[in-house]
Amino acid sequence: MITMTQDLDIPGSQSTPAIQSSWQAGRLAMQGDSYPENSYELFDQVIDWVRRYLEEEARPLHLSLALVYLNTSSVKAMMDIFDLLEEAHGEGREVSVEWRYDPRNERIAELADEFREDCSYPFAITPTAAPA
Amino acid sequence: MDLLSMRESYQRDRIMLCFNGPISRSLIEEIGKALRNYLDTQQATPSAAMDVFAVYIEMTQNIRHYARQRGYDEAQASATVAVARDAEGRYLISAGNLVELADGERLVRTVEALGPLDRAELKAAYKQQLRRPREPEGGSGAGLGLLDMARKTSRPLQASLQALPDGQGFFSLTATI
Repeated sequence: MITMTQDLDIPGSQSTPAIQSSWQAGRLAMQGDSYPENSYELFDQVIDWVRRYLEEEARPLHLSLALVYLNTSSVKAMMDIFDLLEEAHGEGREVSVEWRYDPRNERIAELADEFREDCSYPFAITPTAAPA
Repeated sequence: MDLLSMRESYQRDRIMLCFNGPISRSLIEEIGKALRNYLDTQQATPSAAMDVFAVYIEMTQNIRHYARQRGYDEAQASATVAVARDAEGRYLISAGNLVELADGERLVRTVEALGPLDRAELKAAYKQQLRRPREPEGGSGAGLGLLDMARKTSRPLQASLQALPDGQGFFSLTATI
């Protein structure tokens, strides 16, 4: 089956993360800081991609995150994404998250952990090796 | 302009960075970058640096959202922002802006109500606020930003409101990291 859905490949900026999606691989990745004033201007397309993937495909979805700082507006948008995954997981779908972080900054792990509290699917919070 | 007295006053109050004027999206980013660089040279721990930056972002974005909601022009949308260190080495982040007096009174009450809450209560209130429906213009709501700041501070947020002759007020908020 051919899908017309466009993958996302959004370059990062000082206040917005880089975002890549692969419909083929069932993967969504985001890296960097996220503190735009209106996070939904950026995240609506990401939320939309996740929603359509989960509706139109039966395959697993994996989120690979290396987000660093999120303002409250971005936290709210990310929560919407994690909620979509939770809903799909409740319907028996295979979904998972891995959030990689620099172990020198425990705030990132704390943030990721608060998201994980509301999720029942596999959600790994993984320290990356500290640069030499 | 008496730059020397400004300089002396900044030094007396240990102000490492301050800004006064109309604050744009890009200016928030640029000042934020300068703040991060400064914290880096001061060898702040990564978590302290992130907390200071996070409070700065929430304060300034709250001011922008409020000015937009109220339809303020550029002059009215000015912000006064200062980041300082106290004698014990804690970081103080302060921001002030013009508000309608009634809004300012409501904000001061909101901030004061957060004061007695402990960590667990602040977290519960934050999570509850996070689950409220999104606002039409995309802001997360000042309530969420205030709760986020309150969770990062080592002592309660301090808010004050000074009435101005034209019926508006100057609201200011200080967070201690």
